[in-house]
Amino acid sequence: MGLYEFLEKNSIYLVLIIALIVWLSVFGYLLRVDIKLKRIEEKLTRLENKGSEKR
Amino acid sequence: MFLKILLGLYIAVITVLAFVIPIGFIPGLGERARIIFLHVPSAWLSVVAFFVSMFYGIRYLRSRNIYDDVKSASSAEIGFLFCFVTTVTGAIWAKFNWGSFWNWDPRETSIFVLLLIYGAYFVLRSAIEVEERKGTLSAVYSIIAFVTVPFFIFIMPRIMPGLHPGSKGDPEGAGPVVTFKMDPNMRILFFASLVGFMLVYLWMFKLRSKSEILRIKIENKIYQEG
Repeated sequence: MGLYEFLEKNSIYLVLIIALIVWLSVFGYLLRVDIKLKRIEEKLTRLENKGSEKR
Repeated sequence: MFLKILLGLYIAVITVLAFVIPIGFIPGLGERARIIFLHVPSAWLSVVAFFVSMFYGIRYLRSRNIYDDVKSASSAEIGFLFCFVTTVTGAIWAKFNWGSFWNWDPRETSIFVLLLIYGAYFVLRSAIEVEERKGTLSAVYSIIAFVTVPFFIFIMPRIMPGLHPGSKGDPEGAGPVVTFKMDPNMRILFFASLVGFMLVYLWMFKLRSKSEILRIKIENKIYQEG
């Protein structure tokens, strides 16, 4: 029995695959935003430190 | 970072288990009861998020700290998102259980009204430009809006007859979540899912409020240097 036939007969697994893809996409997006925000935060801290050194 | 990846795997495992574990026979629901692992935690999380929004609203009114306003708005946004997920997953489930996506069941009506109430919150925020005024008005609105949440989520759908499990006149007496008369497998996975959703909410809340706080800090820096 091929994968297509299996999923056709057991459609709950197709829903499972879709749910997993949705979650992994959301998770990947959140992780990406988290990393980007950390980088911005570090840059801002560096700029603030430079500013206070100048003064 | 390691903990976040662990959380991602945890939710992925819960998603897989939600579709494969035996959940026992639930009259009138059958396999469709599996929606409980996604639909109910997102509904509960929307209540938690709206509560947090009200909490930071109160804090803002006391402290006048703009970061409290940011946290209040961030939590309301995430609550709205979870409320929307609840509505969409519920509508898909309704199509297979009741035959149509929307039936104006008391539960559907109450969540729709809740979406409208919090939709108006965002309209209010976007309509006011002065930060302090925006913060004060939206804090007051978030307090008043939260007063309606327990009524629309927990009371109204249970005192009115309807199609949703747990409504008044439900032939089973109450829905499986209301009475917690669940199969042991189902109960464990349900609470595990609730914990996972809670952690995702906390992560999203941190990200959303942090991005907004950073935006304010950068704007202040540009203003000071320009």
